[in-house]
Amino acid sequence: MADQPYFEDFAVGDNIPEVTERCNEAQLFFFSAATNNGHRIHYDLPFAKEEGHETILVHGPLQAALMGKTLTDWAGPEGRLVKIGIQNRASAYPHEDLFFGAKVVGKREEGGRRFLDLETFERKSDGRVIMPGTATVSLPSRR
Amino acid sequence: MPESLVPPEAFEMIGKVVGTQSGVVFEKEAQRFAAAVGDLNPVYFDDEAAKAQGYRGIVAPPMFLPQVTQGVTRVDNLTTDGLAAGGNRRDVPLNVHRVMAGGEEIEFREPIYPGDTITSETKVVSIEEKEGRSGSFVIVTRASECTNQDGTVVGIITTKSITR
Repeated sequence: MADQPYFEDFAVGDNIPEVTERCNEAQLFFFSAATNNGHRIHYDLPFAKEEGHETILVHGPLQAALMGKTLTDWAGPEGRLVKIGIQNRASAYPHEDLFFGAKVVGKREEGGRRFLDLETFERKSDGRVIMPGTATVSLPSRR
Repeated sequence: MPESLVPPEAFEMIGKVVGTQSGVVFEKEAQRFAAAVGDLNPVYFDDEAAKAQGYRGIVAPPMFLPQVTQGVTRVDNLTTDGLAAGGNRRDVPLNVHRVMAGGEEIEFREPIYPGDTITSETKVVSIEEKEGRSGSFVIVTRASECTNQDGTVVGIITTKSITR
């Protein structure tokens, strides 16, 4: 987090560094608690199986927040997350690697601020994208 | 011609305010959220670090914004899946049974700080009926404008729900 990326360092087509996350049951419990979410699919294994899942599920909003963390960690102390959009397409489970990343699809300057538009993804180790999205991040300039 | 899932009166909801909720940002609640995500960014935990990065003080994680105005769930009023009974959105009258989340977009305009009172005003933006492989479905798009106690818009949360 000490490194500060700058607007000029990136071109359309560049990727931001990919981050690997792995959730466990305790984390899912704490996220349910922190978000006042009683949905049994996140903690009740027999119920999750009854619903057709192999195990309990990682919350959609937790995956979105992990995407947010990936972006704010990367944007550094002077960067700001301006916009994030996500679609949860498939389930994610505890103890599996989840990969978060983004590609620069646009660069613009508006009102004295500099923005990168990103296409974001969360994918599994088989390459399947389970949460596609978009984001906008403002970065400082070297000038 | 099968009956439309969208009765004519549903379209009258477009542009209307269908809900207003408010809540206060609490430092510990925001920190519990950050910690549960595994996001230990010092700007959420350390006043000096937050100030050094251009904030007024400890700031809440941006992704915490939708949580601030959420209601309080009563455990004596849950459905079998553990969700709040009546939690499915019924603000738009549709001939549907199932509601699924279809995606979310959040625009962050200003940071939110512990002590802020956030009010979100939700409007129906659009109602679209579509044909899918397993029949027709309806996408309802709602936008919630979140303002703080000074009347400053801090964020806009746009959600799509898929109903069939």
